[in-house]
Amino acid sequence: MATRRSFIAGMLAAGIVPKPTWADAGSPDFLSAAMKPDGSYVLCGLSNKGAIVFAVPLPDRGHAAAAHPSRPEAVAFARRPGSYAIVLDCRTGQSLTRLEALPGRHFYGHGTFSADGDLLFTTENDYDVAAGIVGIWDTRTGYSRIGEVSSGGIGPHDVRLMPDGKTLVVANGGIETHPDSGRTKLNLPTMRSNLSYLTLDGAIVDHMHLGPEHQRNSIRHLAVSGSGDVAFAMQWQGDMSADLPLLGVHRLDRGQIELCQGTSIGTLQGYIGSIAINDTHNTIAVTSPRAGLMQVVEEGAVIWQMSIADVCGVVTEGTGFLVTAGTGRIQMSAEAYFDYQLSWDNHIIRVN
Amino acid sequence: MRRLIAAVALTIASPAVADQPDIRSIVENHIIPRYEALASEAATLAETAAEDCTPSNPDLIAAYHDAFDAWVAVSHLRFGPSEVDNRAFALAFWPDPRASTPKTLAALIGDEDPVVERPEAFDSVSVAARSFYALEYLLFDPQFVQSENAGYVCSLVRATGEDISRNAAAILSDWQAGYGKLMATQGNDTYRTSTEAAQQLFTALSTGLEFTSQARLGRPMGSFDRPRPNRAEAWRSQRSLRHVILALTSTRELAGMLSGENTALDDAFDEAIQRANSLGDPIFALVAEPQGRLRVEVLQQSIDAIRRVLSEQVGPSLGITAGFNSLDGD
Repeated sequence: MATRRSFIAGMLAAGIVPKPTWADAGSPDFLSAAMKPDGSYVLCGLSNKGAIVFAVPLPDRGHAAAAHPSRPEAVAFARRPGSYAIVLDCRTGQSLTRLEALPGRHFYGHGTFSADGDLLFTTENDYDVAAGIVGIWDTRTGYSRIGEVSSGGIGPHDVRLMPDGKTLVVANGGIETHPDSGRTKLNLPTMRSNLSYLTLDGAIVDHMHLGPEHQRNSIRHLAVSGSGDVAFAMQWQGDMSADLPLLGVHRLDRGQIELCQGTSIGTLQGYIGSIAINDTHNTIAVTSPRAGLMQVVEEGAVIWQMSIADVCGVVTEGTGFLVTAGTGRIQMSAEAYFDYQLSWDNHIIRVN
Repeated sequence: MRRLIAAVALTIASPAVADQPDIRSIVENHIIPRYEALASEAATLAETAAEDCTPSNPDLIAAYHDAFDAWVAVSHLRFGPSEVDNRAFALAFWPDPRASTPKTLAALIGDEDPVVERPEAFDSVSVAARSFYALEYLLFDPQFVQSENAGYVCSLVRATGEDISRNAAAILSDWQAGYGKLMATQGNDTYRTSTEAAQQLFTALSTGLEFTSQARLGRPMGSFDRPRPNRAEAWRSQRSLRHVILALTSTRELAGMLSGENTALDDAFDEAIQRANSLGDPIFALVAEPQGRLRVEVLQQSIDAIRRVLSEQVGPSLGITAGFNSLDGD
């Protein structure tokens, strides 16, 4: 019997790819924001077959989303320096409520829930003082703002919950920006990125810095394995002739950092856009839209790579990964893909 | 038959080739002459400061302006030699949102740090207290011009002038000694193809214009409710608008050479430069009033219009995909 992969590949070869339709609708497996051809923005629910289950309008460009651990509910964040996040029912795409950034703050585009789903944590910029903030929202009271703590650095971008359920890990990118000057980087000569580990009430557990040669390497995105490996993806802010890796794995318990040499500035054009870990196979996938390249890493070595124009979103799926691209492509395996009339945004997340 | 195939191949290839910019000409006629001017003006600045480092020396002030002009004309060329050892940041530490420059200068002066007497060690000083922007504080800000420790400030002016000259010379030397050839001839590890070299130049041009729009204009504009005229670039020496005009003029030349003299692009530059010239306020103090801020905003929009023509017309002809994600930067 043909596997799904060979089945789809066979249809592609024969040129008879059926367009996924609303008939496939059900609960989505993934969420991703996108831009439509008319320049407006949507948030789409996707099935693991690559079909669009729903598409709800967004007021502005989206970035990432976070899935509630037990309810079919997710929060979709605006792109930096965004001021909104939308809480939606994942089954229907219906908006449940909306989070507004506090005055003097903007979201960076990522967030994560506590293990019981009671709290939501968001990365924010207190921009007049350039302080990184983790905002805390209570999902039990309609996502009311109940507090905030320091993120442990400047420019917190991604935040994840560690498998112990008691610790957050924050990627402080180190770059100061202010909405008055758009996305202009204000502190490159003095920037310093770090990983910060915080308790849920904000006590700093530990920081991880790389060596001085990495001064311009900005840690932006994270993927955490079930055993506590923190894979961190970086974006290089210096001259492109530098030869440094852009992917590392940190173990808090052992204080150990392993960098993956194959993910070099030269190969990835200094830029990783998204990262995912496949726990079952102990593999990490990174994407670089600038290089148009997806790489898969196992035990610190690049074991596979594929060129896909403007690739960025990546999520674990089955034995491997599913990736999305600004060209509209959803690539489910080396052979199987769909092309939509949409520009898929930076991140895709799993919701079921 | 072989000859025929070659002829056909040439015919097919030629339209694409015609679009390709002359990288060697850009290196030899745009980049190197500007870095030569910077090195030469910076050397004059260092010599003038060595003779008389007091802020009341009109020759020193003139040399400061000339050398700073020369820097702004290369400030979009931020790759390769300018990025070695933080050279460009040691020439230009701005924006400075945390006011590191005056704080670090005040600390050096307060401690009478002897580093100013050892030019070879001056590069150990934080980049925040070096550069044209630090020199501006020393020559124009009352806190430093009227310092009780005028002798030390004078030594600091001299040391900064020397440091600027050394960095400018080092960048020029690298361009002349090999980097210029790497870029002009390609087929090496730095630039494998002429497309890669063109893409680096396109990125420099586009980033330079973005900096002029978002930092040089965006910083003082602040928000509508809270304009920030004191954040204008180099306002103490009345240079804010001058930098915008110099940067536009210099990037216009590069844009012309990269785009094969694209008319729409040149018209967009023309409009922006005319608007800048008619603004009539050297330090953007007018942003404090809604009408004045609007005029600066219109200038900013005209620079963003240049950037649109660049990404929509010039980028694609250079093989630069304006990807939704690849251009995002997050």
